This record gives sequence, C-alpha cells and structure tokens, in this order.
Amino acid sequence: MTTRRGSWELPISERELSSLTREMQQAHQETLPAMRASALDLTEEIRARRSGEAANAGRRRFLLGAGGATAALVLAACSSGSKSDSSVPPSSSASSSGSPSSGASGQYTGDLQVVALATALENQAVGAYKATLDAATAGKLGTVPPAVANFVTTAMAQHADHAKAWNAVLTGAGKPAINDVPLSNQAETLQALSAATDVATVAKLALSLEDQAAQTYLFATYNVTSPAGIQTAATIAPVEAMHAAILNYVLGQYPVPDDFLPVDKAASPSLLTV
Amino acid sequence: MGRERIDTRLLEELTEQSEDLNSDAVRITHSALTDFAQSAQPVPARWWQRGGALAGMAGMAALIGSSRALADSPSPSASGMSVANDIMALQTAASLENLAVSVYQTAAGLPFIQDGNKTVVAFISKTTAQHQAHAQAFNAAAVQAGGKAQNNPDPKYKAIVDQALPTIKTPADVVKLAITLEDVAAQTYTANVGQVSNGDLRKLFASVAPVEAQHRAVLLAVQALLAGNAADLITIPVDPAKLPAAAGSVGFPDSFYPTKMASPISEGAVQ
Repeated sequence: MTTRRGSWELPISERELSSLTREMQQAHQETLPAMRASALDLTEEIRARRSGEAANAGRRRFLLGAGGATAALVLAACSSGSKSDSSVPPSSSASSSGSPSSGASGQYTGDLQVVALATALENQAVGAYKATLDAATAGKLGTVPPAVANFVTTAMAQHADHAKAWNAVLTGAGKPAINDVPLSNQAETLQALSAATDVATVAKLALSLEDQAAQTYLFATYNVTSPAGIQTAATIAPVEAMHAAILNYVLGQYPVPDDFLPVDKAASPSLLTV
Repeated sequence: MGRERIDTRLLEELTEQSEDLNSDAVRITHSALTDFAQSAQPVPARWWQRGGALAGMAGMAALIGSSRALADSPSPSASGMSVANDIMALQTAASLENLAVSVYQTAAGLPFIQDGNKTVVAFISKTTAQHQAHAQAFNAAAVQAGGKAQNNPDPKYKAIVDQALPTIKTPADVVKLAITLEDVAAQTYTANVGQVSNGDLRKLFASVAPVEAQHRAVLLAVQALLAGNAADLITIPVDPAKLPAAAGSVGFPDSFYPTKMASPISEGAVQ
C-alpha cells in the first residue's frame, strides 16, 4: 500500500471497499448478538446447575435473525419451568397461523406466552393500519392528511418489524409463528375499524392499540425471565410510546400525558386464543 | 481489476466504523464475561431481599404494585450485578434528570422562549416537572438501596451543555440540545432495564424510558416544523390537514430504540 498526493492507492475500487465494509458490518451485527446470547446462555446454565436445576440449555437458545438492534434473544427458562403471569389461562391447542412448520399444538407457556401475545398485538396493529390505508384509499375516511398517511405507513412498517422479531423467537423455539391475530378482542377491533368514517376515529383506535402495546411491553420487562426478552421488550416499548405521542398530538391532546408509563392498559395474556 | 486511488478520508471513516464495531464487540463480550464470572461467585444478599421494603418511597409508590413477587427474581442477565451497580445506575439516571431539569429551566428563562410560542413554553414547563419526578424516583430508589441521592448533573453532558449554551440563539438551538439530552436519557434507561438486578428497578427504568422517548418524538416533530418555517403549527390542538407529511413520521426514526449512546452506569454516580 502506498500513498500518492494524499491518497491511498489500493488494488481495489472504492465501491468494492465499501461493499466489503458493509459486509463486515453486517457480519459484526449478526455475530455480536449471537455471541452475547451464547454467553448469557452459558451463564444461565451455570446458574441453573449451581441451584440444582436441570440445565436445559438447549431449549433456551433461540437466536433471532430478524432486523433491529436486538436481533437475538435467549429465552432462558421459556418452558414450563419459567415464571408466568398468574392470569395466564391454560394453553389450548394451537395452530396459530398457518405456519408451514407448525404442527405443534399451542404451547405458548412461560416467556413464550408473552412473546406470543406480543406477536399477536403487533399483527393486530399492522392489520389495523393496513385496514386504515385501505379505507382511506376507498375514500371511506374522507380526506386523509398527508402527515396522517405518512404516520400510518411508517408505524405499520415498524410494527411489522416488531412482529418479525417476535416470530423469529417463536419459530426458533420450535413453536408456530403467529401471522394472524389470535386475540379475543380482535373482532371488536375490526368492527370498530370498519365503522370508522373519519380520520379522528381511526386515530383514537390506533392510539388505544399503541398504548396497549407500549404498556404490555413495560409489563413484560418485569414479568419475563429471559434477559434478552426483557431487553427486546425494553427497546420496543419506547417506539410504541413515540407512536402514541404523535397520535395524541394529531388528536389535539397533550403528547406526553404521563410522568411514568402506566400499565393499566396493558394486554393480559388471557387475551390470547392460542 | 485496475488500480484506483482511494480517498484517505473515506478510508479513515471506514476504519473508524470498523473500530466502533470492534469496540462494541469488546464491550459486549466484556459484559457477557462479567456476567459469566459473577455467576460463578456466591450471589450476595441484595437490598430488596433484606426486607428493605420499597414502600414509602414517594417517587416509586406508583410504580410498585403487583410486580413485587416477581421482583424478587433477579434478571438472569444481570443477576451478578451488585447492589453497588444498581445504585450507580440510579445515580447516573438521576444525574441525567438533574441536567435535563437545569437545561429546561435555563431555556424557559431565555427571552425568545418566554416571548415565543406558548405551546413550547407549556411543553418546557410540563417536561421540566416530569424530569423532576423522574429524578426524585431514581434518587428515592438509590437511597432505599443504601446509596446517596445524586443531586448533581451528569458531568459528561454538563460539559456539552456548558459548551452549547452560549451558542444558543434560537428556539431551534434549544430544541436540538433538548433532543440530545432526551435521547441519551431514553437510551440509557432502555439499556438499564437489562442491567439492573430486580423487577422493581426494571419497571422503574422501563416506565421512564418511553416518557423520555415521547419527549424526543415531540421535539423531533417541533424541530421539523421549525425547519419548515411552520412554527405556527406548533400548537395544541393542531389542524392535521396543515401538517407537512414529514411531521407524521419524523418523531420515531427507529423500529427498535437504540442503546448505542447509553451512558455507562458509573458516568453520573456519586463519587
């Protein structure tokens, strides 16, 4: 490698170098979570051994390949041995979504039940925003302000990202992905959406979904046992809260109404129908 | 493949990016290995296991409820984290809150703010009160854990603020500085959720981070409106039809809230 007039001279083009750098970045981003997950898994295994528990490390390791900063999860003790909310109903059989690999009955227990709930909530939000766009396109909502349309499109994409992340956890754990909305309040939500005839009504409905999601994730941070699951919920809750802030503003309401995010609107795992 | 000259600056930038990634790798590995090492040590009695009830803490009162039983289960990722680390995280959080309060109070006294947009004035007032509530909650938890309250600002960001304040001439300058502080706070608390060692503290940090994120979302929208010469739209209620399209999405740029700028737990700890 030599320099000439302040420039490096390399047998490679800028484009190739940039491409290689991007690949290196991607490799790093893919490796770091996995490395951390593995180390955490090992830690958990050692801790379990010390306390005399069975060390089921193999079932704790679910590496998530979805996008986002928290691209890997280790759901330690996600099985029946893990702690779950007391309101969780007994699992019923479960075919969640037509996942090609599904075949397992509904076994979303422990941490995975919260993950399943999170996935369903994200799908519900994506569906609600999609229905909003469809209704707007059909002229059912009157004139839709550009800012609102932009909000809907962007928020929908972020919810889809969240759903992908959570679904990767489920499939990584050998559970069926959830691609629909197995929630007992979905019919009510769809009915409210279809009855909406203006943007304000839809925005209020969206706000309720965003509040519910943000608060559910807050709830998850202290009810899930998996470290990476906790961290993933922690990174999504602020995003849902930001959605809610903008919706409040659009609705003419103060955008940051609470000093501390409450949990009174958090979804109960009992909403799950799988 | 022909030889081409490469811009030194580009190469330096790429090298810097690589170093950043490597630094992240080292930090994460160190964290994981620390977890690993600590897991092999006897877990010390923690303050919340010594019967030190959290009841009575004004700032925390609203936050502690049904999670209590679950709180006794330490976060596996951070179970080796000592009480001292919990206290440091809480003190650093309080220091960030103290700085935010100070900056908003200073901003409120600036003539172009006092005589400017009334919605901005109201936002500053409300946000100041919210940060004061957060500082009280973090300090109450730190004291309950056996530490001292942190009443000083975060030193790293105070230096940045001190440098920036003399250059602030417009509302946009204030907004820009506030966005930085809100983002650092939100990122720090988001990271803290996975670092502290019990459910009560996870709940505390996880209930504050979204509020700071909401502050940032509002400020990002305000920043966009100011940049678009649409300051008259910074009002509540607003006519959504008049908002530029960008106002609908500029407030939430990331699908997952980042933590790269999170402050280390020791940054604002009481010395």
